Amino acid sequence: MIYATPATGLIGLLVLFGLILGGVRIGAALGLVGLGGLALVLSPEAALIKAGVITLDTLTRYELGTLPLFLLMAHVFFAVDASRDMFDAAARFIGHRRGGLAYAAVAGCAGFGSINGSSLATAATIGSVALPEMRRRGYSDALATGTVAAGGTLGQMIPPSGALIVYGIITETSIGDLFTAAIIPGLSQALFYLVVVWLVVRWRPDLAPASERAGWSERWRALRRIWDMIALVVLVIGGIVAGWVSPSEAAAIGAAGSLVIAALRKGLTRAMLFSACEATLKTSGMIFLIIIGALIFAVFIGVTGVTEAAGAMVSSLSLGTIGTLVVIALLLLVLGSVLDGLALMLLTTPILLPIVEATGMSALWFGIFITRAMEMGFVHPPLGMNLYVIQGVAKDVSIGRIFKGVMPFLASDFVHLFLLILVPGMALWLPTVMQ
Amino acid sequence: MTWLRHLAVWIGGAALLAATAIDTLAVIGRNFGLPIVGSIELVQAAVLVSGIMGLIFATAGDDHAHVRIVTDRLGRWRSSAALLGPLSMALFFLALLAGSLWLASDLWNGHEQSELLGVSWRVLRLIANLGLGACIVIALAALVRRKQP
Repeated sequence: MIYATPATGLIGLLVLFGLILGGVRIGAALGLVGLGGLALVLSPEAALIKAGVITLDTLTRYELGTLPLFLLMAHVFFAVDASRDMFDAAARFIGHRRGGLAYAAVAGCAGFGSINGSSLATAATIGSVALPEMRRRGYSDALATGTVAAGGTLGQMIPPSGALIVYGIITETSIGDLFTAAIIPGLSQALFYLVVVWLVVRWRPDLAPASERAGWSERWRALRRIWDMIALVVLVIGGIVAGWVSPSEAAAIGAAGSLVIAALRKGLTRAMLFSACEATLKTSGMIFLIIIGALIFAVFIGVTGVTEAAGAMVSSLSLGTIGTLVVIALLLLVLGSVLDGLALMLLTTPILLPIVEATGMSALWFGIFITRAMEMGFVHPPLGMNLYVIQGVAKDVSIGRIFKGVMPFLASDFVHLFLLILVPGMALWLPTVMQ
Repeated sequence: MTWLRHLAVWIGGAALLAATAIDTLAVIGRNFGLPIVGSIELVQAAVLVSGIMGLIFATAGDDHAHVRIVTDRLGRWRSSAALLGPLSMALFFLALLAGSLWLASDLWNGHEQSELLGVSWRVLRLIANLGLGACIVIALAALVRRKQP
Protein backbone atom coordinates (compact mmCIF):
# COMPACT_ATOMS: atom_id res chain seq x y z
CA MET A 1 0.00 0.00 0.00
CA ILE A 2 2.94 2.34 -0.61
CA TYR A 3 0.87 4.39 -3.03
CA ALA A 4 -2.03 4.83 -0.60
CA THR A 5 -1.25 8.49 0.00
CA PRO A 6 -3.20 11.72 -0.42
CA ALA A 7 -0.86 12.61 -3.30
CA THR A 8 -2.12 9.57 -5.23
CA GLY A 9 -5.70 10.68 -4.59
CA LEU A 10 -4.88 14.17 -5.80
CA ILE A 11 -3.26 12.86 -8.98
CA GLY A 12 -6.33 10.67 -9.49
CA LEU A 13 -8.55 13.74 -9.23
CA LEU A 14 -6.44 15.65 -11.77
CA VAL A 15 -6.51 12.70 -14.19
CA LEU A 16 -10.26 12.49 -13.70
CA PHE A 17 -10.72 16.17 -14.56
CA GLY A 18 -8.52 15.72 -17.61
CA LEU A 19 -10.52 12.74 -18.84
CA ILE A 20 -13.89 14.42 -18.24
CA LEU A 21 -12.81 17.59 -20.03
CA GLY A 22 -11.36 15.38 -22.79
CA GLY A 23 -14.86 14.10 -23.54
CA VAL A 24 -14.69 10.72 -21.79
CA ARG A 25 -18.16 9.73 -20.58
CA ILE A 26 -18.41 10.84 -16.95
CA GLY A 27 -19.38 7.43 -15.55
CA ALA A 28 -16.54 5.71 -17.42
CA ALA A 29 -14.04 8.39 -16.36
CA LEU A 30 -14.98 8.02 -12.69
CA GLY A 31 -14.84 4.23 -12.90
CA LEU A 32 -11.60 3.98 -14.89
CA VAL A 33 -9.73 6.38 -12.61
CA GLY A 34 -11.12 4.54 -9.57
CA LEU A 35 -10.13 1.16 -10.99
CA GLY A 36 -6.69 2.34 -12.08
CA GLY A 37 -6.11 3.91 -8.70
CA LEU A 38 -7.24 0.85 -6.79
CA ALA A 39 -5.06 -1.38 -8.99
CA LEU A 40 -2.08 0.79 -8.09
CA VAL A 41 -2.87 1.23 -4.40
CA LEU A 42 -4.17 -2.28 -3.62
CA SER A 43 -3.77 -4.72 -6.53
CA PRO A 44 -5.33 -5.28 -9.98
CA GLU A 45 -7.14 -8.33 -8.58
CA ALA A 46 -8.68 -6.37 -5.70
CA ALA A 47 -9.69 -3.57 -8.08
CA LEU A 48 -11.48 -5.93 -10.47
CA ILE A 49 -13.26 -7.82 -7.70
CA LYS A 50 -14.38 -4.55 -6.11
CA ALA A 51 -15.73 -3.44 -9.51
CA GLY A 52 -17.64 -6.72 -9.86
CA VAL A 53 -19.13 -6.45 -6.37
CA ILE A 54 -20.18 -2.82 -6.85
CA THR A 55 -21.76 -3.52 -10.25
CA LEU A 56 -24.06 -6.29 -9.08
CA ASP A 57 -24.76 -4.70 -5.70
CA THR A 58 -25.79 -1.46 -7.40
CA LEU A 59 -27.93 -3.04 -10.09
CA THR A 60 -29.82 -5.20 -7.60
CA ARG A 61 -30.35 -2.52 -4.96
CA TYR A 62 -33.99 -2.32 -4.04
CA GLU A 63 -33.70 1.43 -3.38
CA LEU A 64 -32.37 1.97 -6.89
CA GLY A 65 -35.82 1.06 -8.21
CA THR A 66 -36.97 4.43 -6.87
CA LEU A 67 -35.21 6.30 -9.65
CA PRO A 68 -36.56 4.57 -12.81
CA LEU A 69 -40.06 4.32 -11.38
CA PHE A 70 -40.24 8.05 -10.56
CA LEU A 71 -38.82 8.70 -14.03
CA LEU A 72 -41.53 6.50 -15.53
CA MET A 73 -44.18 8.45 -13.64
CA ALA A 74 -42.76 11.73 -14.97
CA HIS A 75 -42.59 10.50 -18.57
CA VAL A 76 -46.14 9.16 -18.48
CA PHE A 77 -47.39 12.51 -17.14
CA PHE A 78 -45.31 14.30 -19.73
CA ALA A 79 -46.99 12.25 -22.48
CA VAL A 80 -50.45 13.29 -21.28
CA ASP A 81 -49.54 17.00 -21.29
CA ALA A 82 -49.30 17.42 -17.52
CA SER A 83 -46.94 20.37 -17.90
CA ARG A 84 -49.45 22.28 -20.03
CA ASP A 85 -52.25 21.54 -17.56
CA MET A 86 -50.15 22.66 -14.57
CA PHE A 87 -49.19 25.94 -16.23
CA ASP A 88 -52.73 26.51 -17.54
CA ALA A 89 -54.26 26.12 -14.09
CA ALA A 90 -51.77 28.53 -12.52
CA ALA A 91 -52.23 30.99 -15.43
CA ARG A 92 -56.06 30.95 -15.08
CA PHE A 93 -55.79 31.93 -11.41
CA ILE A 94 -53.02 34.54 -11.47
CA GLY A 95 -52.25 35.20 -15.15
CA HIS A 96 -54.28 38.43 -15.24
CA ARG A 97 -52.05 40.19 -12.69
CA ARG A 98 -49.05 42.19 -13.79
CA GLY A 99 -46.32 39.55 -14.09
CA GLY A 100 -48.98 36.91 -13.48
CA LEU A 101 -47.76 34.55 -16.20
CA ALA A 102 -44.27 34.69 -14.71
CA TYR A 103 -45.75 33.72 -11.32
CA ALA A 104 -47.69 31.00 -13.13
CA ALA A 105 -44.51 29.75 -14.81
CA VAL A 106 -42.79 29.45 -11.40
CA ALA A 107 -45.86 27.68 -9.97
CA GLY A 108 -46.01 25.42 -13.04
CA CYS A 109 -42.32 24.56 -12.62
CA ALA A 110 -42.87 23.78 -8.92
CA GLY A 111 -45.93 21.66 -9.78
CA PHE A 112 -44.23 19.81 -12.63
CA GLY A 113 -41.10 19.50 -10.46
CA SER A 114 -43.16 17.54 -7.98
CA ILE A 115 -43.84 14.85 -10.59
CA ASN A 116 -40.48 15.05 -12.29
CA GLY A 117 -37.04 15.08 -10.71
CA SER A 118 -35.09 16.86 -13.41
CA SER A 119 -34.23 20.54 -13.89
CA LEU A 120 -33.68 20.22 -17.62
CA ALA A 121 -36.96 18.40 -18.24
CA THR A 122 -38.90 20.89 -16.11
CA ALA A 123 -37.35 23.89 -17.91
CA ALA A 124 -37.92 22.34 -21.33
CA THR A 125 -41.52 21.26 -20.78
CA ILE A 126 -42.80 24.31 -18.91
CA GLY A 127 -40.76 26.50 -21.26
CA SER A 128 -42.44 25.03 -24.33
CA VAL A 129 -45.85 25.89 -22.84
CA ALA A 130 -45.20 29.13 -20.95
CA LEU A 131 -42.76 30.99 -23.20
CA PRO A 132 -44.98 31.33 -26.30
CA GLU A 133 -47.88 32.48 -24.08
CA MET A 134 -45.77 35.04 -22.18
CA ARG A 135 -44.27 36.45 -25.34
CA ARG A 136 -47.67 36.58 -27.05
CA ARG A 137 -48.92 38.72 -24.19
CA GLY A 138 -46.03 41.15 -24.51
CA TYR A 139 -43.71 39.97 -21.73
CA SER A 140 -40.06 40.94 -22.04
CA ASP A 141 -38.17 38.02 -23.57
CA ALA A 142 -35.43 38.34 -20.93
CA LEU A 143 -37.93 38.10 -18.06
CA ALA A 144 -39.88 35.28 -19.72
CA THR A 145 -36.86 33.10 -20.51
CA GLY A 146 -35.08 33.92 -17.23
CA THR A 147 -38.13 32.95 -15.19
CA VAL A 148 -38.50 29.57 -16.84
CA ALA A 149 -34.76 28.81 -16.83
CA ALA A 150 -34.56 29.54 -13.09
CA GLY A 151 -37.94 27.95 -12.33
CA GLY A 152 -36.77 24.77 -14.05
CA THR A 153 -34.20 24.22 -11.31
CA LEU A 154 -37.09 23.61 -8.89
CA GLY A 155 -37.46 20.20 -10.53
CA GLN A 156 -34.20 19.11 -8.93
CA MET A 157 -35.11 20.22 -5.41
CA ILE A 158 -38.83 19.59 -5.00
CA PRO A 159 -39.34 15.90 -4.23
CA PRO A 160 -39.16 13.45 -5.88
CA SER A 161 -35.72 14.57 -6.99
CA GLY A 162 -33.39 12.44 -9.10
CA ALA A 163 -30.33 14.13 -7.60
CA LEU A 164 -31.46 13.37 -4.04
CA ILE A 165 -32.11 9.72 -4.91
CA VAL A 166 -28.59 9.39 -6.33
CA TYR A 167 -27.11 11.21 -3.32
CA GLY A 168 -29.04 8.93 -0.97
CA ILE A 169 -27.68 5.85 -2.71
CA ILE A 170 -24.03 6.90 -2.74
CA THR A 171 -23.96 8.21 0.83
CA GLU A 172 -26.40 5.63 2.24
CA THR A 173 -28.61 8.41 3.55
CA SER A 174 -32.35 7.70 3.82
CA ILE A 175 -34.03 8.82 0.58
CA GLY A 176 -37.25 9.39 2.52
CA ASP A 177 -35.46 11.76 4.93
CA LEU A 178 -33.84 13.57 2.01
CA PHE A 179 -37.22 14.09 0.33
CA THR A 180 -38.69 15.36 3.60
CA ALA A 181 -35.71 17.66 4.16
CA ALA A 182 -36.07 19.09 0.63
CA ILE A 183 -39.66 20.26 1.07
CA ILE A 184 -39.00 23.55 2.91
CA PRO A 185 -35.92 24.51 0.84
CA GLY A 186 -37.86 23.68 -2.35
CA LEU A 187 -40.92 25.70 -1.39
CA SER A 188 -38.87 28.61 -0.06
CA GLN A 189 -36.86 28.63 -3.28
CA ALA A 190 -40.12 28.91 -5.26
CA LEU A 191 -41.20 31.70 -2.90
CA PHE A 192 -37.91 33.53 -3.51
CA TYR A 193 -38.53 33.34 -7.27
CA LEU A 194 -42.04 34.75 -6.82
CA VAL A 195 -40.59 37.63 -4.80
CA VAL A 196 -38.01 38.26 -7.56
CA VAL A 197 -40.77 38.46 -10.18
CA TRP A 198 -42.74 40.82 -7.92
CA LEU A 199 -39.71 43.09 -7.42
CA VAL A 200 -38.78 43.11 -11.12
CA VAL A 201 -42.35 43.91 -12.17
CA ARG A 202 -42.63 46.69 -9.58
CA TRP A 203 -39.37 48.17 -10.81
CA ARG A 204 -40.21 47.86 -14.54
CA PRO A 205 -44.00 47.40 -15.00
CA ASP A 206 -43.59 47.48 -18.79
CA LEU A 207 -41.73 44.14 -18.71
CA ALA A 208 -44.87 42.18 -17.89
CA PRO A 209 -48.21 43.73 -18.83
CA ALA A 210 -51.44 42.74 -17.09
CA SER A 211 -53.98 40.85 -19.19
CA GLU A 212 -57.61 39.75 -19.08
CA ARG A 213 -58.95 37.88 -16.06
CA ALA A 214 -60.21 34.31 -16.54
CA GLY A 215 -63.73 33.58 -15.28
CA TRP A 216 -64.33 31.18 -12.38
CA SER A 217 -65.82 28.53 -14.67
CA GLU A 218 -62.60 28.56 -16.69
CA ARG A 219 -60.56 28.39 -13.49
CA TRP A 220 -62.47 25.37 -12.15
CA ARG A 221 -62.17 23.62 -15.51
CA ALA A 222 -58.39 24.11 -15.39
CA LEU A 223 -58.28 22.89 -11.80
CA ARG A 224 -60.32 19.79 -12.70
CA ARG A 225 -57.61 18.90 -15.26
CA ILE A 226 -54.94 18.63 -12.57
CA TRP A 227 -56.65 17.54 -9.36
CA ASP A 228 -55.91 13.86 -10.00
CA MET A 229 -52.21 14.56 -10.51
CA ILE A 230 -52.07 16.74 -7.39
CA ALA A 231 -53.83 14.03 -5.38
CA LEU A 232 -51.32 11.43 -6.60
CA VAL A 233 -48.35 13.67 -5.78
CA VAL A 234 -49.73 14.38 -2.30
CA LEU A 235 -50.26 10.64 -1.76
CA VAL A 236 -46.75 9.77 -2.97
CA ILE A 237 -44.80 12.51 -1.18
CA GLY A 238 -47.12 12.51 1.84
CA GLY A 239 -46.75 8.74 2.09
CA ILE A 240 -42.97 9.02 2.23
CA VAL A 241 -42.95 11.95 4.67
CA ALA A 242 -45.45 10.26 7.00
CA GLY A 243 -43.53 6.98 6.79
CA TRP A 244 -46.47 4.96 5.38
CA VAL A 245 -44.47 3.76 2.41
CA SER A 246 -40.80 3.51 1.50
CA PRO A 247 -39.52 5.75 -1.33
CA SER A 248 -39.34 2.71 -3.64
CA GLU A 249 -42.95 1.79 -2.88
CA ALA A 250 -44.01 5.41 -3.32
CA ALA A 251 -42.29 5.47 -6.71
CA ALA A 252 -44.17 2.33 -7.75
CA ILE A 253 -47.49 3.82 -6.57
CA GLY A 254 -46.64 7.01 -8.47
CA ALA A 255 -45.86 5.10 -11.66
CA ALA A 256 -49.00 2.95 -11.33
CA GLY A 257 -51.12 6.01 -10.56
CA SER A 258 -49.76 7.90 -13.56
CA LEU A 259 -50.65 4.96 -15.82
CA VAL A 260 -54.19 4.90 -14.41
CA ILE A 261 -54.55 8.68 -14.90
CA ALA A 262 -53.22 8.36 -18.46
CA ALA A 263 -55.75 5.59 -19.13
CA LEU A 264 -58.60 7.71 -17.72
CA ARG A 265 -57.52 10.55 -20.02
CA LYS A 266 -57.52 8.04 -22.91
CA GLY A 267 -53.82 8.68 -23.43
CA LEU A 268 -52.50 5.23 -22.53
CA THR A 269 -51.52 3.82 -25.90
CA ARG A 270 -48.86 1.32 -26.90
CA ALA A 271 -46.85 4.08 -28.57
CA MET A 272 -47.06 6.30 -25.49
CA LEU A 273 -46.00 3.48 -23.19
CA PHE A 274 -43.09 2.62 -25.48
CA SER A 275 -41.93 6.20 -25.59
CA ALA A 276 -42.25 6.63 -21.78
CA CYS A 277 -40.25 3.42 -21.18
CA GLU A 278 -37.68 4.48 -23.79
CA ALA A 279 -37.09 7.85 -22.12
CA THR A 280 -37.00 6.22 -18.68
CA LEU A 281 -34.43 3.61 -19.70
CA LYS A 282 -32.27 6.18 -21.45
CA THR A 283 -32.04 8.42 -18.39
CA SER A 284 -31.74 5.61 -15.87
CA GLY A 285 -29.03 3.84 -17.93
CA MET A 286 -27.07 7.07 -18.04
CA ILE A 287 -27.42 7.63 -14.29
CA PHE A 288 -26.66 4.00 -13.34
CA LEU A 289 -23.34 4.15 -15.20
CA ILE A 290 -22.40 7.30 -13.30
CA ILE A 291 -23.43 5.76 -9.97
CA ILE A 292 -21.35 2.61 -10.58
CA GLY A 293 -18.35 4.71 -11.65
CA ALA A 294 -18.76 7.07 -8.70
CA LEU A 295 -18.95 4.24 -6.17
CA ILE A 296 -15.71 2.71 -7.50
CA PHE A 297 -14.09 6.16 -7.49
CA ALA A 298 -15.26 6.78 -3.92
CA VAL A 299 -13.53 3.58 -2.73
CA PHE A 300 -10.28 4.73 -4.35
CA ILE A 301 -10.54 8.19 -2.84
CA GLY A 302 -11.29 6.67 0.57
CA VAL A 303 -8.24 4.38 0.42
CA THR A 304 -5.83 7.20 -0.46
CA GLY A 305 -6.75 9.26 2.59
CA VAL A 306 -7.14 12.41 0.50
CA THR A 307 -10.39 13.25 2.30
CA GLU A 308 -8.70 13.19 5.70
CA ALA A 309 -5.87 15.33 4.33
CA ALA A 310 -8.33 17.83 2.85
CA GLY A 311 -10.26 17.86 6.12
CA ALA A 312 -7.10 18.51 8.12
CA MET A 313 -6.12 21.30 5.75
CA VAL A 314 -9.52 22.96 6.06
CA SER A 315 -9.42 22.61 9.88
CA SER A 316 -5.99 24.22 9.99
CA LEU A 317 -7.46 27.29 8.32
CA SER A 318 -9.71 27.77 11.40
CA LEU A 319 -12.55 29.18 9.32
CA GLY A 320 -15.27 28.00 11.65
CA THR A 321 -18.44 26.24 10.51
CA ILE A 322 -19.93 29.05 8.45
CA GLY A 323 -16.59 30.04 6.89
CA THR A 324 -15.88 26.43 5.89
CA LEU A 325 -19.34 25.99 4.40
CA VAL A 326 -19.07 29.26 2.47
CA VAL A 327 -15.72 28.14 1.02
CA ILE A 328 -17.29 24.80 0.04
CA ALA A 329 -20.23 26.63 -1.55
CA LEU A 330 -17.85 28.77 -3.60
CA LEU A 331 -15.87 25.69 -4.66
CA LEU A 332 -19.08 23.95 -5.75
CA LEU A 333 -20.20 27.00 -7.70
CA VAL A 334 -16.86 27.27 -9.50
CA LEU A 335 -16.81 23.56 -10.33
CA GLY A 336 -20.49 23.73 -11.25
CA SER A 337 -19.66 26.19 -14.01
CA VAL A 338 -17.68 23.54 -15.90
CA LEU A 339 -19.08 20.21 -14.65
CA ASP A 340 -22.43 18.57 -15.21
CA GLY A 341 -24.58 18.66 -12.04
CA LEU A 342 -24.58 14.94 -11.34
CA ALA A 343 -20.85 14.66 -11.99
CA LEU A 344 -20.27 17.56 -9.61
CA MET A 345 -22.24 15.81 -6.88
CA LEU A 346 -20.65 12.40 -7.37
CA LEU A 347 -17.14 13.74 -7.73
CA THR A 348 -17.14 16.05 -4.74
CA THR A 349 -19.33 14.21 -2.23
CA PRO A 350 -16.70 11.61 -1.18
CA ILE A 351 -14.23 14.43 -0.50
CA LEU A 352 -16.47 17.16 0.87
CA LEU A 353 -18.89 15.14 3.00
CA PRO A 354 -16.29 14.21 5.66
CA ILE A 355 -15.20 17.86 5.83
CA VAL A 356 -18.79 19.01 6.20
CA GLU A 357 -19.46 16.36 8.86
CA ALA A 358 -16.39 17.56 10.75
CA THR A 359 -18.03 20.99 11.01
CA GLY A 360 -20.97 19.37 12.79
CA MET A 361 -23.37 19.30 9.84
CA SER A 362 -25.04 16.05 8.82
CA ALA A 363 -25.05 14.09 5.56
CA LEU A 364 -28.77 14.88 5.32
CA TRP A 365 -28.14 18.63 5.36
CA PHE A 366 -25.26 18.30 2.91
CA GLY A 367 -27.51 16.44 0.46
CA ILE A 368 -29.85 19.42 0.32
CA PHE A 369 -26.97 21.90 0.24
CA ILE A 370 -25.11 20.23 -2.63
CA THR A 371 -28.33 19.79 -4.61
CA ARG A 372 -29.04 23.50 -4.16
CA ALA A 373 -25.52 24.40 -5.29
CA MET A 374 -25.88 21.99 -8.21
CA GLU A 375 -29.08 23.71 -9.30
CA MET A 376 -27.28 27.02 -9.50
CA GLY A 377 -24.82 25.45 -11.96
CA PHE A 378 -27.79 24.90 -14.27
CA VAL A 379 -28.32 28.63 -14.68
CA HIS A 380 -24.87 30.18 -14.58
CA PRO A 381 -22.49 30.29 -17.54
CA PRO A 382 -20.52 28.89 -19.19
CA LEU A 383 -22.25 25.50 -18.76
CA GLY A 384 -25.70 26.69 -17.55
CA MET A 385 -27.60 23.84 -19.21
CA ASN A 386 -31.04 25.34 -18.51
CA LEU A 387 -30.08 28.48 -20.43
CA TYR A 388 -29.36 26.41 -23.53
CA VAL A 389 -32.49 24.32 -23.06
CA ILE A 390 -34.55 27.51 -22.97
CA GLN A 391 -32.73 28.85 -26.02
CA GLY A 392 -33.75 25.64 -27.77
CA VAL A 393 -37.38 26.58 -27.08
CA ALA A 394 -37.01 30.32 -27.83
CA LYS A 395 -34.50 30.17 -30.66
CA ASP A 396 -34.63 33.89 -31.50
CA VAL A 397 -33.57 34.96 -27.99
CA SER A 398 -29.80 35.15 -27.50
CA ILE A 399 -28.03 33.41 -24.64
CA GLY A 400 -26.95 36.85 -23.42
CA ARG A 401 -30.61 37.97 -23.12
CA ILE A 402 -31.55 34.76 -21.31
CA PHE A 403 -28.65 35.21 -18.91
CA LYS A 404 -29.67 38.81 -18.31
CA GLY A 405 -33.15 37.57 -17.46
CA VAL A 406 -31.88 34.89 -15.11
CA MET A 407 -29.52 37.23 -13.19
CA PRO A 408 -32.06 38.44 -10.57
CA PHE A 409 -33.04 34.82 -9.91
CA LEU A 410 -29.41 33.80 -9.60
CA ALA A 411 -28.90 36.60 -7.08
CA SER A 412 -31.82 35.23 -5.06
CA ASP A 413 -30.24 31.76 -5.34
CA PHE A 414 -27.11 33.07 -3.63
CA VAL A 415 -29.19 34.54 -0.80
CA HIS A 416 -31.15 31.29 -0.49
CA LEU A 417 -27.99 29.16 -0.41
CA PHE A 418 -26.48 31.41 2.25
CA LEU A 419 -29.70 31.17 4.24
CA LEU A 420 -29.45 27.39 4.08
CA ILE A 421 -26.00 27.68 5.66
CA LEU A 422 -27.11 30.14 8.33
CA VAL A 423 -30.35 28.30 9.15
CA PRO A 424 -29.73 24.55 8.73
CA GLY A 425 -33.14 23.97 10.30
CA MET A 426 -34.64 24.88 6.92
CA ALA A 427 -33.62 21.39 5.84
CA LEU A 428 -33.38 19.56 9.15
CA TRP A 429 -36.49 20.67 11.03
CA LEU A 430 -39.13 18.75 9.06
CA PRO A 431 -37.36 15.35 9.12
CA THR A 432 -36.87 15.76 12.90
CA VAL A 433 -40.55 16.59 13.43
CA MET A 434 -41.75 13.71 11.24
CA GLN A 435 -39.62 11.21 13.14
CA MET B 1 -28.63 -0.76 -33.79
CA THR B 2 -32.32 0.23 -33.89
CA TRP B 3 -33.54 -3.34 -33.38
CA LEU B 4 -31.29 -3.67 -30.30
CA ARG B 5 -32.63 -0.45 -28.80
CA HIS B 6 -36.20 -1.61 -29.48
CA LEU B 7 -35.49 -4.96 -27.83
CA ALA B 8 -33.92 -3.21 -24.83
CA VAL B 9 -36.98 -0.98 -24.49
CA TRP B 10 -39.45 -3.88 -24.61
CA ILE B 11 -37.54 -6.03 -22.12
CA GLY B 12 -36.57 -3.12 -19.86
CA GLY B 13 -40.07 -1.64 -20.09
CA ALA B 14 -41.62 -4.96 -19.11
CA ALA B 15 -39.27 -5.09 -16.11
CA LEU B 16 -40.25 -1.53 -15.11
CA LEU B 17 -43.94 -2.36 -15.33
CA ALA B 18 -43.34 -5.57 -13.37
CA ALA B 19 -41.54 -3.63 -10.60
CA THR B 20 -44.40 -1.09 -10.59
CA ALA B 21 -47.04 -3.81 -10.30
CA ILE B 22 -45.22 -5.86 -7.65
CA ASP B 23 -44.49 -2.96 -5.31
CA THR B 24 -47.96 -1.44 -5.74
CA LEU B 25 -49.66 -4.76 -5.04
CA ALA B 26 -47.32 -5.31 -2.07
CA VAL B 27 -48.40 -1.99 -0.52
CA ILE B 28 -52.09 -2.67 -1.17
CA GLY B 29 -51.74 -6.25 0.11
CA ARG B 30 -49.95 -5.11 3.26
CA ASN B 31 -52.78 -2.74 4.11
CA PHE B 32 -55.43 -5.43 3.58
CA GLY B 33 -53.65 -8.15 5.53
CA LEU B 34 -52.46 -9.96 2.40
CA PRO B 35 -48.72 -9.27 2.23
CA ILE B 36 -46.82 -10.46 -0.84
CA VAL B 37 -43.98 -12.61 0.44
CA GLY B 38 -40.65 -11.82 -1.22
CA SER B 39 -41.86 -8.78 -3.12
CA ILE B 40 -38.56 -7.01 -2.48
CA GLU B 41 -36.62 -9.89 -4.02
CA LEU B 42 -38.82 -9.80 -7.13
CA VAL B 43 -38.39 -6.05 -7.44
CA GLN B 44 -34.61 -6.45 -7.08
CA ALA B 45 -34.63 -8.84 -10.04
CA ALA B 46 -36.81 -6.46 -12.06
CA VAL B 47 -34.55 -3.51 -11.19
CA LEU B 48 -31.53 -5.51 -12.39
CA VAL B 49 -33.18 -6.31 -15.73
CA SER B 50 -34.37 -2.72 -16.28
CA GLY B 51 -30.98 -1.34 -15.19
CA ILE B 52 -29.04 -3.56 -17.56
CA MET B 53 -31.43 -2.75 -20.40
CA GLY B 54 -31.05 0.94 -19.54
CA LEU B 55 -27.25 0.62 -19.79
CA ILE B 56 -27.56 -1.16 -23.15
CA PHE B 57 -30.04 1.41 -24.46
CA ALA B 58 -28.01 4.42 -23.32
CA THR B 59 -24.77 2.92 -24.68
CA ALA B 60 -26.34 2.05 -28.04
CA GLY B 61 -27.60 5.62 -28.40
CA ASP B 62 -24.39 7.17 -27.02
CA ASP B 63 -26.58 8.93 -24.46
CA HIS B 64 -24.09 8.79 -21.58
CA ALA B 65 -23.32 12.13 -19.95
CA HIS B 66 -20.19 13.94 -21.03
CA VAL B 67 -18.73 17.43 -20.94
CA ARG B 68 -18.18 19.08 -24.34
CA ILE B 69 -16.87 22.44 -23.24
CA VAL B 70 -13.30 21.59 -24.36
CA THR B 71 -13.83 18.99 -27.08
CA ASP B 72 -16.13 21.29 -29.08
CA ARG B 73 -13.22 23.71 -29.42
CA LEU B 74 -10.57 21.21 -30.47
CA GLY B 75 -10.73 21.92 -34.20
CA ARG B 76 -8.95 19.24 -36.24
CA TRP B 77 -8.28 17.13 -33.14
CA ARG B 78 -11.98 16.79 -32.53
CA SER B 79 -12.39 13.53 -34.47
CA SER B 80 -9.51 11.92 -32.58
CA ALA B 81 -10.98 13.03 -29.25
CA ALA B 82 -14.31 11.55 -30.31
CA LEU B 83 -12.70 8.09 -30.26
CA LEU B 84 -12.03 8.45 -26.54
CA GLY B 85 -15.74 8.15 -25.77
CA PRO B 86 -16.46 4.64 -27.08
CA LEU B 87 -12.94 3.44 -26.25
CA SER B 88 -13.26 4.40 -22.58
CA MET B 89 -16.76 2.93 -22.44
CA ALA B 90 -15.52 -0.39 -23.86
CA LEU B 91 -12.62 -0.48 -21.39
CA PHE B 92 -14.80 0.33 -18.41
CA PHE B 93 -17.46 -2.24 -19.28
CA LEU B 94 -14.69 -4.77 -19.89
CA ALA B 95 -13.31 -4.17 -16.39
CA LEU B 96 -16.80 -4.47 -14.87
CA LEU B 97 -17.42 -7.70 -16.78
CA ALA B 98 -14.04 -9.12 -15.75
CA GLY B 99 -14.76 -8.40 -12.09
CA SER B 100 -18.27 -9.72 -12.30
CA LEU B 101 -17.16 -12.94 -14.08
CA TRP B 102 -14.42 -13.44 -11.49
CA LEU B 103 -17.00 -13.28 -8.70
CA ALA B 104 -19.44 -15.48 -10.62
CA SER B 105 -16.82 -18.18 -11.08
CA ASP B 106 -15.71 -17.95 -7.43
CA LEU B 107 -19.28 -18.28 -6.18
CA TRP B 108 -20.53 -20.73 -8.83
CA ASN B 109 -20.57 -23.68 -6.45
CA GLY B 110 -22.08 -21.65 -3.63
CA HIS B 111 -25.56 -21.94 -5.18
CA GLU B 112 -26.52 -18.55 -3.74
CA GLN B 113 -30.23 -17.89 -3.57
CA SER B 114 -32.44 -15.13 -2.24
CA GLU B 115 -33.84 -15.81 1.24
CA LEU B 116 -37.59 -16.01 0.72
CA LEU B 117 -38.22 -17.01 -2.88
CA GLY B 118 -34.96 -18.74 -3.69
CA VAL B 119 -34.23 -16.53 -6.71
CA SER B 120 -30.93 -17.86 -8.06
CA TRP B 121 -28.06 -15.39 -7.98
CA ARG B 122 -26.43 -17.42 -10.75
CA VAL B 123 -29.24 -16.30 -13.03
CA LEU B 124 -29.02 -12.68 -11.88
CA ARG B 125 -25.25 -12.68 -12.44
CA LEU B 126 -25.76 -14.25 -15.86
CA ILE B 127 -28.19 -11.48 -16.86
CA ALA B 128 -25.77 -8.81 -15.60
CA ASN B 129 -22.81 -10.38 -17.40
CA LEU B 130 -24.66 -10.81 -20.68
CA GLY B 131 -25.74 -7.17 -20.47
CA LEU B 132 -22.20 -5.96 -19.76
CA GLY B 133 -20.96 -8.10 -22.67
CA ALA B 134 -23.54 -6.50 -24.94
CA CYS B 135 -22.40 -3.02 -23.82
CA ILE B 136 -18.77 -3.89 -24.71
CA VAL B 137 -19.80 -5.05 -28.19
CA ILE B 138 -21.89 -1.89 -28.71
CA ALA B 139 -19.06 0.40 -27.57
CA LEU B 140 -16.53 -1.40 -29.80
CA ALA B 141 -18.90 -1.20 -32.77
CA ALA B 142 -19.23 2.55 -32.16
CA LEU B 143 -15.44 2.84 -32.01
CA VAL B 144 -15.03 1.03 -35.35
CA ARG B 145 -17.74 3.19 -36.94
CA ARG B 146 -16.03 6.38 -35.79
CA LYS B 147 -12.62 5.21 -37.04
CA GLN B 148 -13.96 4.69 -40.54
CA PRO B 149 -13.40 7.76 -42.75
